[in-house]
Amino acid sequence: MTPYLQISGLTKRYGSIVALRDVDFSIEQGSVLAVLGPNGAGKSTLFGCLLGLTRATSGQILKRGAAITDSDLVRVGYVPERISLYPQRSVSDNAAFFAALRGQPVACAELELERVGLGTVRERKVRQLSKGMLQRLGLAIALCGKPELLVLDEPFNGLDPALLESLQAILEEEHGRGATLLISTHTMSAVEPLATHAAVLLQGSLTAFGTIEQLRQETGSYGSLESMYNQIARTCRRTEEVLQ
Amino acid sequence: MMALRQIRLIALKEFGDRFRSGWVIACIVVWLGAVTLTSFFGLLQIGQIGMQGYERTVITLLNLVQYLVPLLALLLGHDLIVSEAEERTLKLLIASGVSRRRLLAGKFIGGCLTLAVPLLSGFLIAGAAIGFGARDRTILPFLGLTASGLGLGILFVALGQAISVFCRTRVRALVAALLAWCLLVFVFDLVALGLVISTKSPAAAREIELVCDATHVNAAADIHSAYDNVTNSEPKAHPRESASSTPLLWLCLNPIDLFRCINLPQQLGITVPFFVALGSSVLWLWLTLGAGFWKFCRTDL
Repeated sequence: MTPYLQISGLTKRYGSIVALRDVDFSIEQGSVLAVLGPNGAGKSTLFGCLLGLTRATSGQILKRGAAITDSDLVRVGYVPERISLYPQRSVSDNAAFFAALRGQPVACAELELERVGLGTVRERKVRQLSKGMLQRLGLAIALCGKPELLVLDEPFNGLDPALLESLQAILEEEHGRGATLLISTHTMSAVEPLATHAAVLLQGSLTAFGTIEQLRQETGSYGSLESMYNQIARTCRRTEEVLQ
Repeated sequence: MMALRQIRLIALKEFGDRFRSGWVIACIVVWLGAVTLTSFFGLLQIGQIGMQGYERTVITLLNLVQYLVPLLALLLGHDLIVSEAEERTLKLLIASGVSRRRLLAGKFIGGCLTLAVPLLSGFLIAGAAIGFGARDRTILPFLGLTASGLGLGILFVALGQAISVFCRTRVRALVAALLAWCLLVFVFDLVALGLVISTKSPAAAREIELVCDATHVNAAADIHSAYDNVTNSEPKAHPRESASSTPLLWLCLNPIDLFRCINLPQQLGITVPFFVALGSSVLWLWLTLGAGFWKFCRTDL
């Protein structure tokens, strides 16, 4: 059976720097993949290649066996690490504009604004929003039109506990309706209740990939996702030292 | 269908943002004032005040249009893409399924709209005032100036957009846009003149005279004298009638010189064939938009 998303031999070089090195993995529809790794590991580059923001040096990304096109991207929701929107425009203007670009009606944008709790500030200018509100607006834009794939780059950064909980609830709902989620994060405790799969990127290489259960068995770490990640990172470091 | 919808949305957003910022209204005022005042005070240096007819207004307005339209178009175009990149909205646009080609098309059309609306509004309102004030019905040269001015602006919006794609910051794009303006408005003509002189051909003296008139090197008063010569003499008596226009076709490489040649055919004695003008404009658009597209497709965001 053709996997929903298949990444094979993906490499990205910026001059002499290798941001991604021969990354291979595939996931089925409805999976929640936690992409883990330290800063500079290549998580955002991986998402960039997937969304057509960055040109891969080699390798390919296939969705249901075919290359990703612009019409596929219309059904992808993306929340970047640092959300920037049009500051001089209102919340609803921004949401409606991005919804319209994806062929969605204004009503859909309004619905998602209500869902993320921004219904009362829809006329407020984006420049007047707090960081948490901006984060929620970014999420509302990404959720518009019930995307089949959600790509979230560090979505839990700088959120207060209440907001974190509501974001987790929304992502749980999206997973429940069958959406595939790719979430990169350092806040592993936040993604742990959702994740079905995990990918660990270290220095651009995919060090570990599999379902959470598979990885637990492989590493022998049955504690939290964070302890499992630390175990993988330590093993990788030791292997490198031995090789050197 | 989706492609057209996205292009339309981006173009309208670009125009809407500029409208809200006051750019469009300010430009309407500038053009309205420029055309009206130029028509009224254009012959001040030869002791005449009052609303002039369309032809006189065109001649007086030519220098202003050839300097101001490219400058405004470059100021409009230089931050079309780089501003989205600096404000980090570019990633979200591309990730929303807007291809780079559609984004460039939408931005270019939006830039052209922002230039066209105030320019056409200002010229047409002022044109109507001149028609009533000077009781002149020979509006064709004035309409020609309006259309060719708009064409000139569109070519420079394309150049501005290419600069916007190639530069990484807004400041660099602004500097590059101003340099491009200086290069095309001043340096090109001086270099061209230098080349004509350096060829030392027998026809050089005549060509130098023609180049001076066809480019910014001339003074407005010379053009008015040329206008008087043309209107007061028999057509066959014009000293430049016999001059071949072919050697000067290289002037068409620069849209500003092309614009001048189109608007002063009698005074300069140069007739630019329609297909040469069209071909030159299409080539210019193809080069600038193509260069922008080529670079944008190879840029990692």
